[in-house]
Amino acid sequence: MSNTMLDFVIVSIALLAIGIYGMSVKRNAIRMLFAVEMIVNAANLNLVAFARFLPNSQGQTFALFSIAIAAAEVGVGLALIIVAYRMYKNVDIAEFRSLKG
Amino acid sequence: MIEITSTPIILVAILGTVGMILPIIGIAKKEKGSNSFYATIAFGALIASIGYVIYETVTDQLPPSALFSKDVLSNDSFSSLFAIAMLIVSIITTAGSFNFMKNHSHHAVYYSLILLSTIGMVLVAYSTDLVMLFVAWELMSIPTYVLAGFLKKNPSSNEAALKYFLFGALSSAIIIYGISLVYGITGSTNIGEVMAGLQQMDPSLMPLALLAAGMFIAGFGFKMGLVPFHMWLPDTYEGAPPTITALLAAGTKKAGFAAALRVIIMGTIALNVDWTLALGVIAVMTMTVGNIAAIMQKNISRMLAYSSIGHAGYILIGLAVAPFTVLGIQGSLFHVLNHAVMKGAAFIAIAGIVATLGITNIDKLRGLGRKMPVISIGLVISLLALAGVPPTSGFWSKLILFGAALDSGLPSWAPWLAIAGVLNSALSLAYYGWIIRKMYFEGETEKRIAEPKAIIGVMVFSIIFLVAIGVYPEPIIEFTRNAVPVLGFIASK
Repeated sequence: MSNTMLDFVIVSIALLAIGIYGMSVKRNAIRMLFAVEMIVNAANLNLVAFARFLPNSQGQTFALFSIAIAAAEVGVGLALIIVAYRMYKNVDIAEFRSLKG
Repeated sequence: MIEITSTPIILVAILGTVGMILPIIGIAKKEKGSNSFYATIAFGALIASIGYVIYETVTDQLPPSALFSKDVLSNDSFSSLFAIAMLIVSIITTAGSFNFMKNHSHHAVYYSLILLSTIGMVLVAYSTDLVMLFVAWELMSIPTYVLAGFLKKNPSSNEAALKYFLFGALSSAIIIYGISLVYGITGSTNIGEVMAGLQQMDPSLMPLALLAAGMFIAGFGFKMGLVPFHMWLPDTYEGAPPTITALLAAGTKKAGFAAALRVIIMGTIALNVDWTLALGVIAVMTMTVGNIAAIMQKNISRMLAYSSIGHAGYILIGLAVAPFTVLGIQGSLFHVLNHAVMKGAAFIAIAGIVATLGITNIDKLRGLGRKMPVISIGLVISLLALAGVPPTSGFWSKLILFGAALDSGLPSWAPWLAIAGVLNSALSLAYYGWIIRKMYFEGETEKRIAEPKAIIGVMVFSIIFLVAIGVYPEPIIEFTRNAVPVLGFIASK
């Protein structure tokens, strides 16, 4: 038996909720990066699932674009986290306090 | 299909080629410290681009702003206005970097990233397809994450970049989730077809459509610095190199408004929801929080960051009253153009102060008016323009914005937006006046010190721009009136 569109949407909403929870609760930069990636992948799942049930395939194309862009973004983000780790010996953003007001 | 000779393609060709070639020259060249060499090339490319856009705007009659097209890019006067504003910001940033970047390394990469980010900003303004919009949005954002952390040895620069990156990545993720929802509802990613699809959708899908609209507001709101999403902004603007802060505050923020005008406003009209009240509440919150927090700051970059949050609130007034009066979007567009120049000039003035004296604390600005007269007068004019004092252009754009809120008539709460805006402007004059007082009326007489030449050039340009438009605003008002998209099209459909 095949899956209905609702199954995909439920999984995607669950991933979105986990991502937003991780973003708001965790303070470790790498965990926050993972949380963002979960939201992006929830959106990709949505796009591919919708494209399957719609008469066009724009969603699949967009998912490919989105995966490539997310990879570039993670590359930049990890580079910034590595520089921060060299400076602070820590990746907890609550510990970074040179700026406040 | 898009014509190969249309403006956005030519801009991508010019800026992209130069942006990709710069790092190659940087590797091939052995000698170091040739900052002005790369800066000149980047500057030339940006001048050529803005020259092309202005030439086309002045001579060729651009098609009226439609906001929708069958292609992924549309070349109309709405996008030209944003392209001009963003190219001005990039030119100001590059010119300011002539002096600021002299003592830092990796010049080729720095200017290349500025050019790539500029392509992204310009394409956000031109795109009429959600896929194109998202790709351009990321092309704009990813280089600025690197640029914010460009001073590698400086802990505050790195912290600024990391905070900016985490919130920026979250905003892109939220935007792409919103796009996936509207794609699922309407089956298209073209903005025009999406709007048409939203008007005819099954009413039972309304909760999903509202979720998508909320996600667009949140996602673009992060970049625009609207109030529940502004927490990264003061830290980033304070820690990033001041020239890059100029690019962020004046450039990427405006791209957020370009995207918001294309997507949020049209979406709210298509959804037939009274969403404008929510935008009005966000506008009032944004300007009040920004201006009240700005009063308490000791650091001038941080104070201008909060003032930048306040200005996002003023621009949002125009978006909130957009369905009721044409003047709303016209005022927003005018203020976008003005704010690009005045905020860019203010941060470049700070870059000049940091590069020569190394101070950002407001108490230490004492006597600056005699030490660095040209930079001080440039800073004063931009601060007065930000406050909206009459002989500057900031007065006219605020007049149109608040006038639109009073004039719209239909929603009974609209005049309150104008009242909040006027009160906030008065409040902002207090802290701008404090900076001016420190610079001119305090401190002992000190000797004049040499000011960086390129930054003097930026100051002269911005003074001329702000005062000339303040004295003779008609051409720009006419230009922004033509750039207002036709909203009747969607209502009659």
